[in-house]
Amino acid sequence: MSENDHLQAIAAAVIDGETEDAVEATKSALDANVDPLTILNKGLMDGADEVGKRFERGEFFLPELMMTGRALKGAMEVVKPILLEKYSGSDSKVKGKVVSATVHTDIHDIGKNIVASMLTAAGFEVTDMGVDVPIKSIIAKAEEIEAKIICLSALLTTSMPFMKDLIQLLEARGIRQKYIVLVGGASVTDTWAKHIGADGTARNAADAVKLARQKIGM
Amino acid sequence: MLNYLEILDRAHNGPYIAEENWDLEKIAMTTKRLVRKYKIEWDSNHLVTDDAALSEAIWKAGYELAVEVGAYSRSTERIIEISQDEIDSGIQNMPQEVVMGEGKDARTLYARRLNDARAPLSFGGSPGTPVPARMFLANVMSYMREPLIDLATCGTLVEVDGREVRTGNPIEVVSTRRELQYMRQGLKRVGRAGMGMLAAQSSVSELGDLAVAHPDYLRPCDSHLVPVLNELKMDHRNIARAVNSLEYGMVNASLPCVIVGGLGGGPAGSAVVNVASYLIANLTCLADYHILHPIHVRHIATSTRDVLWVINATAQAFARHAPTIIVSDIYPKSGAGTKELLYETAANAIVNAVSGGHLEGCGSADGNLPNCSGLEARLMAEVALASHRMKMSLKEADEFVLQLLPKYEHVFTADGNPGLPFDQVYDTVKIEPLDFWQKMYEEVRTDLKEMGLKL
Repeated sequence: MSENDHLQAIAAAVIDGETEDAVEATKSALDANVDPLTILNKGLMDGADEVGKRFERGEFFLPELMMTGRALKGAMEVVKPILLEKYSGSDSKVKGKVVSATVHTDIHDIGKNIVASMLTAAGFEVTDMGVDVPIKSIIAKAEEIEAKIICLSALLTTSMPFMKDLIQLLEARGIRQKYIVLVGGASVTDTWAKHIGADGTARNAADAVKLARQKIGM
Repeated sequence: MLNYLEILDRAHNGPYIAEENWDLEKIAMTTKRLVRKYKIEWDSNHLVTDDAALSEAIWKAGYELAVEVGAYSRSTERIIEISQDEIDSGIQNMPQEVVMGEGKDARTLYARRLNDARAPLSFGGSPGTPVPARMFLANVMSYMREPLIDLATCGTLVEVDGREVRTGNPIEVVSTRRELQYMRQGLKRVGRAGMGMLAAQSSVSELGDLAVAHPDYLRPCDSHLVPVLNELKMDHRNIARAVNSLEYGMVNASLPCVIVGGLGGGPAGSAVVNVASYLIANLTCLADYHILHPIHVRHIATSTRDVLWVINATAQAFARHAPTIIVSDIYPKSGAGTKELLYETAANAIVNAVSGGHLEGCGSADGNLPNCSGLEARLMAEVALASHRMKMSLKEADEFVLQLLPKYEHVFTADGNPGLPFDQVYDTVKIEPLDFWQKMYEEVRTDLKEMGLKL
């Protein structure tokens, strides 16, 4: 198999959301001495980008995004140690750590799940804390994993004030500058994001990924 | 019949499953398999199907999904297992008639069948839309004063006495009570004090809901929402809403908002999940009737082709196989002061009326902005009643709706078509549409008549 064949096999497994195939194709590429960074960028990420495009076109739905997320996670477990070994200290160059949560009192998760899946597919390491998460827990998790981005979601207008509370708590603790805080949800607007001092918002999952990449300089 | 104590027991004792595995393995995979098994396909050029075999397939797949997976308790991360006999008993026990309101204003909601001789009823209001306190009363009155509106609903109060409302905060108690005070005041002022309501929309957590179960606020003849979480999930806080109404007697309206493009996949799977959601909600929400409100994964609106198809498929599956009271939310993309809002409303009204649903609306501008008014609800009721009077067939409805789509489909963009706030389309003192908005309504009405609708 040529290098291109290996990369296409990896991308195809990611697009199909087949975890076992993605893991096997990644192992096979590594055995054939394909560069791990090339595997990441041209195999895994190209596949993930295609899934994102198909979702935006209405050809793929949430289950496909979730399956792709699983396949990527499985393949990353194979490639990550080799990547780190070869490109020592390059951890931060290949991904950014993200804490994602629907804020306290809000139990809606579909939008948050889509963004988390798309971010994962785009190479971010996402810790999804679920729904109805207290702001103190979100900050504690961000500190624990040394996240760069905190993604907050709220569908309910009456839960959106908790986004503001989180930013104010970061400021009160003197750690606001450590994090890029992105906010999202059906009622969240640019005006609201600016009003509460967030670093940005996006209208859809694809734009959220672009924004995260832009903010982190990827 | 499964009672609420048994549901709580099972939520504590059922098999454990991580939520992600419930979503992917139980819901997504099972639905995908059932869609294949029953060969369910949607057609973007036929949004109202007259294919009885397709309707039967959707019904069977949804029934099988409900029996196979049951429900999930997010509070305990356990499966609430439900047997086939219990699903059947839930179907058999669903009310065929529910009287809402009192006195001369009382109306009877009934389980509609296809070609039912009885007309659909209309709830007027912008359900769940954030509406500022300064325009709340005038806004709800704009719907209540419409003669064709049978029942009242409303938006959500997001501020009380200048203070921001936060979910789960004690202020939610105040906001939900204030909402009901406005509603009762509005009904009295339009001379329809006995009109039934679907309210407590400001109760996002269970707090406000529990706080208005009192005859001064939400009467036993009124209804409130008991949500089903996406997908086929419950939690203790929402079950508490239903349990609280047991002795008091409020009418429970289940609210599963199936995401079209979400865990069920495309329109075919989403319809299957919606059918299963009602079968589960018969038991877990102690539902007296069901709200039909599929949400488009990107556009939110109920007027996209795929969501219209899901509405038709779900309502029709029940109308044909297990008549149940279904009230369909109409959430157009466009907002007040735009012609597109009226065309979107007309398309939704026709699909619902011929498919066996009652109507509720409109959550104009995706229900995100207070860009909503009673005028579009007037058109909603007029169109639904006209299609009923004309005995519009499923095929005729399909053809009519396909003609409406080119008049509004351009609004499905990132910017949408939000229109104007209520106080810029209505005289909020006289509670009447401003001239330009009235003129738009009349022009669209004329167009609909020229298209063959006997308004």
